[in-house]
Amino acid sequence: MDKTDNNVIVTEGVTKIYDENGVPVKAVNEVDLTIGYGEFTAIVGPSGSGKTTFLNIISGLDSVTSGMVWLGGKELSRMSGRELSDYRRDSIGFIFQAYNLIPVLTVEENIEYIMLLQGRPKEERRERVREILERVGLSGYADRVPPKLSGGQQQRVAVARAMVARPKLVLADEPTANLDSKTGAELLDMMRELNQSTGMTFVFSTHDQMIMQRATRLVTLKDGRIFSDETKTGG
Amino acid sequence: MFGGIYMKLAWRNVLRNKRRTFIAGIAIGVGLAALISMDALIIGMEKNMIKSATGSFMGEGQIHREDFRKAFEVERTIADLEQVVAGLEQEPLVENFTLRTLAFGMISSPANVSSVSMVGVDPSTEPYLSEIDDVMVEGSYFDGEGDISRQILIGAKLAELLEVGLGDRVVMTVAQAETGDLAQEMFRISGIYYFKSLELDQGMAFVRLDKAQQMLGLEGRVHQIALKFHDSNVGRDGDHPFWSMYSQNGNEALSWTRLMPTLESVLDLSQWATLILGVILFAVVALGIINTLFMSLYERMFEFGVLRAVGTRPVALGRLILFEAGALALIAICMGMALGFIITYLLSTFGIDYSGIEYAGVTFRKLLYPVMQPRQFIEFPIYVFLFTVLVGLYPATYAARLTPARAMRKSF
Repeated sequence: MDKTDNNVIVTEGVTKIYDENGVPVKAVNEVDLTIGYGEFTAIVGPSGSGKTTFLNIISGLDSVTSGMVWLGGKELSRMSGRELSDYRRDSIGFIFQAYNLIPVLTVEENIEYIMLLQGRPKEERRERVREILERVGLSGYADRVPPKLSGGQQQRVAVARAMVARPKLVLADEPTANLDSKTGAELLDMMRELNQSTGMTFVFSTHDQMIMQRATRLVTLKDGRIFSDETKTGG
Repeated sequence: MFGGIYMKLAWRNVLRNKRRTFIAGIAIGVGLAALISMDALIIGMEKNMIKSATGSFMGEGQIHREDFRKAFEVERTIADLEQVVAGLEQEPLVENFTLRTLAFGMISSPANVSSVSMVGVDPSTEPYLSEIDDVMVEGSYFDGEGDISRQILIGAKLAELLEVGLGDRVVMTVAQAETGDLAQEMFRISGIYYFKSLELDQGMAFVRLDKAQQMLGLEGRVHQIALKFHDSNVGRDGDHPFWSMYSQNGNEALSWTRLMPTLESVLDLSQWATLILGVILFAVVALGIINTLFMSLYERMFEFGVLRAVGTRPVALGRLILFEAGALALIAICMGMALGFIITYLLSTFGIDYSGIEYAGVTFRKLLYPVMQPRQFIEFPIYVFLFTVLVGLYPATYAARLTPARAMRKSF
């Protein structure tokens, strides 16, 4: 069987060259990586190592200069802009560093937004929102707007939004960067528990030691290349 | 189905920065208010000009002998007068009419002399067509004592020129029909009027119709029939069948639009001026809308990136911006309609004093009252709404073309 069918992410020779004021900059250089279903992987590396660019590429938010990316067995470069939008909607959950909830929508509306895009019926949306809020420990917060929540609570809502549509993959960019260590640890434990109970794949981009400790696999990028790829036993 | 979430988002986003929305709404609203007030003012000005032009003396139309207006030859009187008058008396369109003679003459006092147009009028019907009885500043309108046949009404400017006052004597000299012999009569000034129009106040003198006919040797004949209609649109429509019906047997019947083509042209011009001003106003408003939407767009660039990242299609994002433009338009329309109503209501209640100012051959005699119409509060807001949404297409297209990575370049 093709490896692109068995793994959630497969990249081959992925290279991204940016033009910075006329100077070509190689942000990602010939990266070959395979991430299997259910992994809890952290991509780490110093600033400028290409983590951000690589996550943009594997989520279909940015295009490659050369190389190929398969997400859930589908090659991203063959998809149109609309197909990519639909694919991200149905297959990827995003968690951002600064929470990035829509401030004018309530917690419930933020979480159900993706399901609205998917055209799911109201009853199903309500039920799933109720379930996920319970899982992230925010029952009773459905009608609040994000600015009325603490940072930790907002990030929990972001996790709920990322997971509610049951995507194949959750991409998280420095999800603990704006949280205190206790809240960050609680959030990570919650995500790990969700990873184990649902089998969803989590990929983090991070500097945070707490994430590195909990990750089952550490992929280190340096100067746009994979410097090391370490899978923890028993993780 | 999920169009509802975008409408909800649009409303909440527009209300998110209330101060900016208020300022943008005011900017668009002022444009709408200006459009409403200006339209009301133009309509008021048109009505005032038409009323000043037709109500002072001219009437809404006139009947003359053909070519009479070219040289005012005394002998060119209306043909078949009795038949024409009988027709007008039966005519349902006509509210009133009056008969006049018109002749150039010379008026002299012991102090001075001036050329004038001597107008012979029927004192009983003239007030229906002209406002001369309303603008008497001294004396009275053909109803004093003494020899009433020798009463003459002159304008205040002419009285000043001749250095005469009420009760003073003046001599009128005119040329008679056919023979051209000079006829001279002494009149006593029984009234002085003030139309606030130089042409009427200095260039005319009014005498009784029978006296004028006698002086001019016309005996029952007249030069002009001035008309007033029940429906003022008849006077405005130069092609109305009425005019051809009475343009027979050597006579010509003309609407005020034909008698005073410059006024008609000016009114047409004012329509264009409204349109041009409207376009300029809308252009200014357009820049305001684009600026507001782009400010809001740049401020929320990351948010749009997030929306795109989680699967919002480009078209849906564009639609969100259009909904925001629509929401902004609705707020602005409410403000503009309120502002437009207040301004127009105040102006139409208290009026604007243009009296005495002459424009396009017409002297404004009364206060100018803008005319408020329901159309202004239906049509213009619709235009503003459609226009705002149309202008919103530019930022909407920009938003739709945003790549998520570009919008979110500060994140991963």
